[in-house]
Amino acid sequence: MLYLKDLTIQRGNKIVFSNFNAVIRSGYTTLIKGKNGSGKSTLLRAIAGFTPLEKGTIKQDKKDIFENNEEWVENLIFLDTKNGLSKDLTVAENLNAWLTMKGWSSNKEIIKMALKSVGMEKYAELYISQCSEGLKKRAALSRLYISFINKVDFWILDEPTNELDTASLVLFKKLVFNFLEQKGTIIIASHDQTIIEKNFYTLDLDELKNQRVS
Amino acid sequence: MNSVYSSWSNIFIAHVKRDILTNSRSLIDMISIVGFMILIIILFPLGLGPIQEKLNIVSNAVIWVGLILAIMPSLEKLLQKDFENGWLDQIATSPIPLEIVMLSKGISYWLFILIPLIITSPIFAILLDMDLKNIPWLVISISAGSLAISLIGLSGSALILGARRGNILLPILIIPLMTPILIFGVGVNEAININESPYGNLFLLLALTLVYLVISPFISALLVRIAIGR
Repeated sequence: MLYLKDLTIQRGNKIVFSNFNAVIRSGYTTLIKGKNGSGKSTLLRAIAGFTPLEKGTIKQDKKDIFENNEEWVENLIFLDTKNGLSKDLTVAENLNAWLTMKGWSSNKEIIKMALKSVGMEKYAELYISQCSEGLKKRAALSRLYISFINKVDFWILDEPTNELDTASLVLFKKLVFNFLEQKGTIIIASHDQTIIEKNFYTLDLDELKNQRVS
Repeated sequence: MNSVYSSWSNIFIAHVKRDILTNSRSLIDMISIVGFMILIIILFPLGLGPIQEKLNIVSNAVIWVGLILAIMPSLEKLLQKDFENGWLDQIATSPIPLEIVMLSKGISYWLFILIPLIITSPIFAILLDMDLKNIPWLVISISAGSLAISLIGLSGSALILGARRGNILLPILIIPLMTPILIFGVGVNEAININESPYGNLFLLLALTLVYLVISPFISALLVRIAIGR
């Protein structure tokens, strides 16, 4: 369980959240909904431990995620609209760099299987600079497959399905399904409410914020 | 405990490898550094005129100033690229502290500029009519000094992340910090020229390099955290 308590988050001079409370349930998909600019991405970046809080705490069970940051991020996969892929490297090299950066073992077999899970095995040697947006997103999503080899508890995904075609969307749903099977927790911010079919609940930021005001 | 340390070093090496691989794919940066230095070194003697003694006095300083100016354009891209493509967010989820990751960035940038510099600096020295006995000392002092310059550059690069017009701001902010490196680096060969021991200046240069080796990763990590927290 992840407890967000009295969060106040400021971006520049604008207060995005003030005294915001929510609970993220383990073993479920939390779908974060909200209109543009409602702070979906900001909330995800705060949960990942990137955006500092003005006030409040985010606790995983009893542990504060900012105080135990290295422990928290170790079992976390964060993916936002910036994919974190270097355009000077190939798809396979990017995945290899990411794996070793996370301290996980990497070999040809693992990379092949991870790329296969998103239908990218044909594009392993393609440079990111030559990839379309959809291919880039799939290359980034191939990291999710690593959760089935190493210990990963959390996925934080920001608009993961925007550029995906129907076939890759099916593969993505399969990854999500398998991760929930092994009791993983997923937090997704998306406009598309249909990407998750079961074991999910929505967190509507517009509603939750209005409740605070009234 | 032992396994923890070995995995730390493995992750550190993984960061260095990835940066060297990315840098080696965009060789234009390396070529531009060397090219810029060649231009400075060709233009200087032409500007000085035909009196050889003048050249002997300034040759040492020209190489160091050339080096500092030549790496400026590549410094601004050092972290900017990874910031834009989201890699800095990803390395914030690396199990090793961000300070260590920043140290790896500094080291890999140093290795990246060091190789062309060590190969070309003797050639520059000959072009500038430097005494042959000075060349080994030049290579040593440039090797040590360029590490300090890389680390200062790393902090500067972290400082301008997300700033507009950062490329104009960067040299103004970091060149003042590089002046001690320049003074002691030039001092090594100046001491040789007047038949004194170069060790005094060299050790001061090394001491400064060690100071930056300690403080620069902390400053850079702090600045990167601010940049990705915005």
